[in-house]
Amino acid sequence: MAVKKLWRCNVCNDVHYGVRAPTICPTCGAKNAFTLIDYPETMKVIIDRGDRLNEVDKLLGAWEAFAQGKPFKLNPDVEFVRTLAKGELENEKNHGLKYCPCRMTTGDFEADLNLICPCNFFIQPVYKETGECWCGLFVKRE
Amino acid sequence: MAEKGDRLIFFWGRECPHCAKLHPTVTELSNQLSKENGKGITELEVWHSEENAKLMRTYGDVLKVACKGSLGVPAFYNEKTKKALCGMNVTRDQLMAWAKE
Repeated sequence: MAVKKLWRCNVCNDVHYGVRAPTICPTCGAKNAFTLIDYPETMKVIIDRGDRLNEVDKLLGAWEAFAQGKPFKLNPDVEFVRTLAKGELENEKNHGLKYCPCRMTTGDFEADLNLICPCNFFIQPVYKETGECWCGLFVKRE
Repeated sequence: MAEKGDRLIFFWGRECPHCAKLHPTVTELSNQLSKENGKGITELEVWHSEENAKLMRTYGDVLKVACKGSLGVPAFYNEKTKKALCGMNVTRDQLMAWAKE
């Protein structure tokens, strides 16, 4: 598997983590502006403005935005969705990342990155069969 | 109470809504099984107990197949038959058959 690296736009300092540098910077639109950088430089370039997705309502907002214009939507059962959000925040507090509370980590950090919500549920057999992701957070639009 | 290696295990997560929904069914079935043969269902919470999570992972090969890819909850593992059930759509009838096999 190709190794992901860190890249920095030399026009606006946008940072990208991927196998290849983006041709066009999604932030400033500059062409061929990304250069390879390392982890310590990245940590210094990123400005922590204190934004955190550490509240249920903030998570719900992010999920709504994620589903916008896509063939799936957030589950209309609000209480159900809020329970999942609380579970993810609990997992972040206890296990470091917003793992799906209806999954379970394997102990292999890289493999467990696939369990961060929203996961790539499009490829899951469950989504194909039932029209819902594993935990039911996202459901197919009718 | 069943001995280790002969248990019917319900792996669940405290913040998993499907686990919460299934819980009353599991409790009722466990009570019935206990009355019938003294062997109920052992409930093990996995997100707040590393010990339980480790045990779940030891049954990972079977559970991943039942969960269609990755480990998930709610999940059921029969230590005697090494058979598993997993997911939000597990029914009481399926659980009964899994427990009595």
